[in-house]
Parts: sequence; structure tokens; C-alpha cells
Amino acid sequence: MTDQADVLAQLSNALAARVAAVRGAIVAIRLPGERHLSGTLWQPDVVVASEQSLPKRNEFELIMPGGSAQGGTVSAKVAGRDPGTNIALLRLAQPVSLPPLVSGPAEAGALALAFGADGVGGTSVRMGAINQAGPEWTSSAGGRIDQRIVLDIRLARAEEGGPVLNAAGARLGITTFGPRAEVLVIPAATIERIVPALLRDGRIARGWLGVALQPVGVPDALHDEAGQSSGLMVMSIVDGGPAAKAGIVAGDIVLTVNGTPTRRLRRIATHLASESIGRNADLRVIRGGRVLSVQAVIEARPPA
Amino acid sequence: MSDATTQLVAPRRLRVAIYAADPLRRAALRRLIANSDHDAADTTEAADVLLCDGDCRSTEARPFVTLGGTDTGQAGLLAPDADANQIDAALRAVAAGLIVRSPGAEETGFAAMKETDLQMLLTPREIEVLSAIGEGMTNKSIARRLNISLHTVKFHIESLFRKLGVRTRTQALAKASERRRIETVEL
Repeated sequence: MTDQADVLAQLSNALAARVAAVRGAIVAIRLPGERHLSGTLWQPDVVVASEQSLPKRNEFELIMPGGSAQGGTVSAKVAGRDPGTNIALLRLAQPVSLPPLVSGPAEAGALALAFGADGVGGTSVRMGAINQAGPEWTSSAGGRIDQRIVLDIRLARAEEGGPVLNAAGARLGITTFGPRAEVLVIPAATIERIVPALLRDGRIARGWLGVALQPVGVPDALHDEAGQSSGLMVMSIVDGGPAAKAGIVAGDIVLTVNGTPTRRLRRIATHLASESIGRNADLRVIRGGRVLSVQAVIEARPPA
Repeated sequence: MSDATTQLVAPRRLRVAIYAADPLRRAALRRLIANSDHDAADTTEAADVLLCDGDCRSTEARPFVTLGGTDTGQAGLLAPDADANQIDAALRAVAAGLIVRSPGAEETGFAAMKETDLQMLLTPREIEVLSAIGEGMTNKSIARRLNISLHTVKFHIESLFRKLGVRTRTQALAKASERRRIETVEL
């Protein structure tokens, strides 16, 4: 009996020590209506937050760790947003001291701790298994996420954007909500890759053709010539955009981009990564019952 | 009766301001509002509640219901394909000071890119027929416009209904505009 109590006490003490180690990195981002969102101090003057849940404003009040007694409330400007990787950055006017955290790997089955801000300078904690640690993936907004990490943890809305540690105390990334309120981790590797460019430019440039498209079936008569049964029909074209300059017109059905069939959207997204800007995109399209080839020069997507 | 009390009693007939970028979608929502015995308001000021297709730009004091979009703590958040009864119930509930969420609204988080589902794709011809239906054209005038037989128009419409899983033209328009919103890819 005594032994068992000791094991639990040891686990409990170890968990409390983890909380103490990470507490200084957790901030609350004030939202209207007495609500807040969590953010993670990543650099002495940079807070990372979940882009999808951060209202479209330029400046936010942050409640620093320790609350009004210590860190108090500071204001921070939005330094960049990238819906592709779901990362938003807030820049503090004054750098603060950052607890020493190293980034580490995620393994399925390992324990993870997810932290959030309680809104008055303190920390809220959740614990659970790493439900999935899969390969890299592409988000619906076209961003590359280095690893698919799903947590077996329920999270309050206000806790989104806080840090996640593995059992060894290494930082896995920050939390965000996926579909059906599934809790995902934006991996530390993705954040580290994106932060410098996002701080410099305020956004992540992505390749752009300037068209809105809808999936359609290729008419039966053209199946053989097209070599595929589906394509993307051009619904609208941005004036003066790359597709417009290349002579693409509404009603064209795009079959392939650089040889990749358009149903492989994730592959197409990689053809339009930031390195693609300035390069040619070879488009095979159906127009007026014929298959033809069109070249467009990829440009940077203009800011939203 | 104080102002606060008045606000908490949902009027039977609401004035609803509708925000939707897609004109087809806007028209469909207007019809839906009228069918639920509410009035469409032209400005936010004249409205009791706002109904937004996706994220509402407004940071209005008035309660609003979004169809899809982000959960930023707004009064009402429904799935993008919420039906007329759900939308009506949500508008009345938020006008009465309640908060509305539906299980389907949880589909809005940070998600992986979907590859095209090849099963139920519409053909370009079916899309033309659909947009003619959207203009309120009869089968006869659709046949004339597309220079095809009445029989062929009926054939396309049957195929459209089957692929969209609907039974009426109005349902087909609503479902198709919703699908277009989900499926539209911007490159």
C-alpha cells in the first residue's frame, strides 16, 4: 500500500514540476466578452497563437504569466498570420524572460501534457496519450504541417494555442482544434520553420494562379483524349492575375497542373509552394471540346 | 417594460439581415427567411439578428448566426448545410438571448486538404442546367437555351437530383450552392 501511494505521489510531483517548468511560457490573449485564448511564448518577444481562432485585429491585450501581480497586462501587435499552417504571431513591445524549453519528438502512445492560460495569469493543465503521430500533411489552406499529431485530450476553447510537452518535458508544439473538436498539435518543427519568414513579411507567400475552380466530371466524349474522368472547371478569374494573362477563360476545365491531375489537390498545393513564384505552370485544359496546353507564370498570392 | 426585457422576448416575426458573398446563396437564404415568416432587413441597424454565410465581418452588438465559419463566441454557429428549420430555430433562439451550437458546426477546425470525391461530380452540362434552374427557367426554356430536347433536359435534371440527393428544384439549388462553397478551390 505504501509503495503504491509513493508511485502516485512521485508521478504527481513530476507532473507538478512540468507545470512549474512551462508556466512562464503561457499567456492569455484577451478577447471581447470576458473571454480569452491561450498563446505560447516562443521567443522572448514573440507569442505563437492558433490563427483560426484569433479575431482579425491588429492588437491584443495579453495577460502575462503571474497575472497582474507579476507580468501584468501588456499589449502586443499582430506580427503575422498564416492560415496555411494556422500560425499567428504576436510581438511584445518588451522582451520577457522565457523558460528554457527544447523541442522534442511525438510518438503515438506516449503521454502528453497540454497547457492553457486560465485568464488571470495562471495555468490550466490537461493530460492524455498521443493518439496519433503520423506523417506530414497538407492543410486545406495549402500549408505543409511537418507531422500529424493528434492528442487524446479534450480542451476548453480558451486553452487553444497553449504549449504541449511530452513526458520528458520536451515541447511538441501548440494545440489547435481540428474538425469535430479533435485536438491537434501544430508541431514545433512547423512553427520554427515558419516564424522567421512570418516575422519578416507578416504572411507566408504562396504561389497563385488567380482562379476559382470547381470539380466537374469530364464529358464522356472527351474521356479518352483527356485521359481522366474529372477536372476542375474555372468558375471565376481574378482580373490581371496569372490565369487571366495566360488567356484562361471561365468554363475551361483544367485537367493537369505540371502533369499532376487536378484531383490530386495536395500534390497541386506543393506545386504552388512559395518556391514556385515566378516559375511556369503548364496547364492542360479542355476548351470548346478540345484539349489544349496553356502556360501561366505563377505569381505570389496577394494579401487577403 | 424595460429595454432589457424587450430584448429577451423573441418577437414572432424577426428582422434578419443576411450576409453572403455568393449571390445564389444570398438569394436562397432570403427565400428561406421569407418562408420562415421573417423579414429580410437591408441594413444591420434595421435588423434584430444577423445571418451570415461563413464568418461575419461585423463585430456588431446584435446577435448573429453563422453558417459554418470560426467559433469566435458568436451567439449562433450552425453547420454550413443547416436546414431551414434549424436556421429558423437558431435565429429565434439567439434573438431570445440563447447560445446555439450544432454538432455539425464542429466540422470547422483546422483540417487536412480533401481530395476530390469522384463519385458524384456534376458534368459541365449539368452545371449549365442548374444555373438555368437558378434563374427560374422552365424545362422548355432551358431546352431552347441549351439547344437540346426537352427529354434531354429532364434526363439531366434527374441525374442532378440523383447526384445531389434531392427531390425538388429548390433543394437542388440550395444543395448545389452549398457544395460549390465547400468544393470551390482557389489556386
